[in-house]
Amino acid sequence: MASPFLIAAGGQVGEGFFHERTSGTLPCQAKSSHLFCWDWAKENIDRYGTPTLQHLEIVVLSVLIGFVVAFALALVAHRRRRLQPPLLAATGVLYTIPSIAFFFLLLPVTGFGRDTAIIVLSAYTLQIIYRNTILGLANVPESVKDAARGMGFTNRQILWRVELPLAIPEVIAGLRVAVVSTIAIATLVVFISAGGLGTQIYGSGNLTFPTTIIIAMVIVMGMALLFDTILLLVQRLTTPWRKVRPV
Amino acid sequence: MPPGQTGSQTQSQSGASSVRYEETTKLYPGATEPAVDHLSLEVPAGEICVLVGPSGCGKTTAMRMVNRTVEISSGDVLVGERSVREREPAQLRREIGYVIQQIGLFPHRTISENIGAVPQLLGWKKERIRERSAELLALIGLDPELGDRYPAQLSGGQQQRVGVARALAADPLVMLMDEPFGAIDPINRERLQNEFLRLQAEIQKTVLFVTHDIDEAIKMGDRIAVMREGGRVEQYATPAELLMAPANEFVEDFVGSDRALKRLALMRVSDINLWEAPLAHVGQATAEVRAKLAAPEVEIPYPLLVDSERRPLGWLRERDLDGETVPSRADSPLGPVLDRDDVMRDALADLLQGESQYAPVVDHQGRIDGVLSVEIISEFLASPDAKSDEHPAVERPHG
Repeated sequence: MASPFLIAAGGQVGEGFFHERTSGTLPCQAKSSHLFCWDWAKENIDRYGTPTLQHLEIVVLSVLIGFVVAFALALVAHRRRRLQPPLLAATGVLYTIPSIAFFFLLLPVTGFGRDTAIIVLSAYTLQIIYRNTILGLANVPESVKDAARGMGFTNRQILWRVELPLAIPEVIAGLRVAVVSTIAIATLVVFISAGGLGTQIYGSGNLTFPTTIIIAMVIVMGMALLFDTILLLVQRLTTPWRKVRPV
Repeated sequence: MPPGQTGSQTQSQSGASSVRYEETTKLYPGATEPAVDHLSLEVPAGEICVLVGPSGCGKTTAMRMVNRTVEISSGDVLVGERSVREREPAQLRREIGYVIQQIGLFPHRTISENIGAVPQLLGWKKERIRERSAELLALIGLDPELGDRYPAQLSGGQQQRVGVARALAADPLVMLMDEPFGAIDPINRERLQNEFLRLQAEIQKTVLFVTHDIDEAIKMGDRIAVMREGGRVEQYATPAELLMAPANEFVEDFVGSDRALKRLALMRVSDINLWEAPLAHVGQATAEVRAKLAAPEVEIPYPLLVDSERRPLGWLRERDLDGETVPSRADSPLGPVLDRDDVMRDALADLLQGESQYAPVVDHQGRIDGVLSVEIISEFLASPDAKSDEHPAVERPHG
């Protein structure tokens, strides 16, 4: 059932890929026992450029939008405690929808392509970013807030100058999980013609030649590792007080 | 009365305001009984008023209504003759120092930034904030290098000092201190209490100090309000008054059965009538000294050898007087020597420590003033409570 759909949707990358591989000019391609064909990888590495950029674009936009929405929801829920359970439930329900089903459900509304992908992926990030922001704000010691209030900080000043800076570690921890999982799930947006590295994994339609899948996988993992490291560094730089050791 | 025109009685020179509770009541939503019930109390500018009582007596609630971290249900609190109810809460709080037991330093800001928090809210220039932080670090006796550290790098005692410095940063009119030394170990607590009293002698702020510890209250307070459940003040008095004349059974129980002993902590040696020492000057005729010892009012059987400046040298024995004149050296060691300004409790401790019945008391020049004995102290403790007064009235014994 998926196959004709893929050909229709997968488009340009998939077809060229098929053609190249079936021409079978490289010796290691013929043997299905080879897990990885270096010669093929050397010749074809440039075909991953566009999908990688597409992947990056979708991930960055999705996480950014997800962050803005989840962060705003968390700030509202922080002020009005009653909103916390329903918001947690709502973002949680979004998170449980199977991704493929989510894509297809949106197709009649937003159609094929990047926009649908970004809507789904950013919806998935809401839960973790929202929950971690709420957690980070809740972890700020009551005594610190009491002292701030007693010294004449307004509620807004307490939020922006005390609570949010202290919640940075949890917020960034949420972002890290969101980015890594979004990078992984974004391999599925190929099913709605949004491109990305999924084109190199599912696009072939032939799973007996694993080299292309492995390359795509390594790029995906490298991207995840890179973002994770960058965010960790950002956290270290923005929270210098957490490094210190009592003297 | 417009600000800046308050009278001299409500605002001291150092910038401290009086605090006056007027029928102040707090009824928490859902509660049937008020936490604080028609509290009326006046704290003169520049004094430390301790609110003391068992937990749940409303002392913290009463304190918090001053800076409106707890809203007043009815009645009023006046800071420097001005109702706090007509003030914008954040503005009001920036004029009132706030120290809490958990300290609540900002973990993400350096010590200097913590101290400069209120000045920053008030929009001071960076340079001025930095100078003020350095000044306060010096005032609380912390190494200026600690200014760049984060709170987690300081000990509990250092953090609490910073908490006090932060409360003082914008030169507040009033300080609120909620069990400020409650979480500190006993040795450091004593040190911090002494430091704060020394500081207070210099800065003379109006301080509302909440504690459940009666000993701390007696030590820190110029005045003490003993409170009980429902925020009712059972007695509002100076520490000496409280110890000598508890208003009722509740206060008596709360102050404790050892209140007589506690009074010793409030007295100095100079507050009590000392015995006169039979003095023996070097080279004096022994016959004169013997005559002195025979006098009926002399309580001590041994003469005290003093030099020409009347500085005590030692106690003489019977055989020291065998010669014609008083020798220049005493056989028995002097034992503890007390200062007129010593706290009575410490003086008693010195006597017990030195295993002696009595000890010479000297003035600032080291000259003999009299003799303090264990007997004098026990007589004082056994005597019926003297009339209450700022200074315990030992000189005016009641019959």
